Amino acid sequence: MTHLLVQFLVILAVSVVAGVIGSLLGLGGGIIVIPALTLFLHVDFRIAAGASIVSIIATSSGSAATYVKDRLSNIRVGMFLEILTSIGAVCGAFLAGVVKGSALYVVFALVLLYSLYPMGKKIALELGWRLRPHGKDQAESLPPDPLAAKLGFSSTYYDPAAKREISYDLHHVPAGAGIMYFAGLASGLLGIGSGVFKVVALDTAMGMPMKASTATSNFMIGVTAAASAGIYFLRGDIDPLIAAPVALGVLAGSLVGTRLLARLAGASIRIIFFVVLAIIAIQMLLRGFNISL
Amino acid sequence: MKKETRETEEDRAKAALADEDPARATELMVSVVLRSGVLISAGVIVIGLILLVMRGASGMDGGIASALAFPHTFASVFSGVARLDPLAVISLGLMLIILTPVSRVAVSIVAFAMERDWRYVAITAVVLAVLIVSFALGKGGS
Repeated sequence: MTHLLVQFLVILAVSVVAGVIGSLLGLGGGIIVIPALTLFLHVDFRIAAGASIVSIIATSSGSAATYVKDRLSNIRVGMFLEILTSIGAVCGAFLAGVVKGSALYVVFALVLLYSLYPMGKKIALELGWRLRPHGKDQAESLPPDPLAAKLGFSSTYYDPAAKREISYDLHHVPAGAGIMYFAGLASGLLGIGSGVFKVVALDTAMGMPMKASTATSNFMIGVTAAASAGIYFLRGDIDPLIAAPVALGVLAGSLVGTRLLARLAGASIRIIFFVVLAIIAIQMLLRGFNISL
Repeated sequence: MKKETRETEEDRAKAALADEDPARATELMVSVVLRSGVLISAGVIVIGLILLVMRGASGMDGGIASALAFPHTFASVFSGVARLDPLAVISLGLMLIILTPVSRVAVSIVAFAMERDWRYVAITAVVLAVLIVSFALGKGGS
């Protein structure tokens, strides 16, 4: 019984951390929950993946309840792009039996590594480093995408950190939508990475402000995960004694993460995201080449 | 004094207008569905954990990794809940968590319809349809 209690508390603590980071960065927290459960607590990978799905949905619902109310999550953008992520997830689930796993990890890792470059460039600009003397990197100078205008993607939110209202339009909707399909495919095929791809699509491809990007990604990942959660549940991969502390911990963590997002500057969140993105990409690459740390 | 009252009235009118903004109503509905889904499922999970402690988790000294068989079909979860089986109650809470984003999508269809935004009613209906198809495929596939 004490052993059980200790394990319960360890999982709860790990999940609080996963909930804070997940709700702040628009990720599901699977990158923390899966390694913690499999490496430290020796939980079966299948059960860890089931707990990770629960973690994604709990982070998403817990944080989006606040983000939607504060208009940080753009529900129109989210709903439209969910068409692509959910179709991608179904396609991914179908392909999972056909395509070789290790090759997939390499492909997805390379896409993530590739997206480090434009994101790094944005960070450099925000830090005031001049890369090119007359670069026209400002997204604001672009005209809004006609598709974005038609779908009512423009929005405004109040940023407590900047102490002002932020209005934005979106650009390159087809490119962003393509990456969203990829995000769905990744979660259907590998069960991971859907959050990172979503933030990359919103922030880096479509030019959404960073805070709105992670909040909108959080709003969306629950639906993408729910598409495969039913399968996990009926297959018996969601162990109540593991998933219960994960769900409760992640929900508590998301309360902290949503407050943190409001207070931090968008530029700082992008830097944290950049580091996590690099870690996930390397993790995937190593898994692709069957190197385990 | 008079001017002040008028200003607050004006503010109130503005606030009322903001609340009547149909897009705002949709956001508030979606937020309420998510929050209640989370609170209800967390509550059910906690009840399950309390039952587990009350029943005394005998036979689980091996720790979580070697836990007992747990219910994972709708029928076994519901019959377990009727018997107040702790693991079944926890599983019900987890099921409710999984259903929260799905209900959020379903409620958005109603909210967009109230907003008379038919384009988004259609978009959201497609998402719900894909979700239902994925659930159906999952059931048949494994």
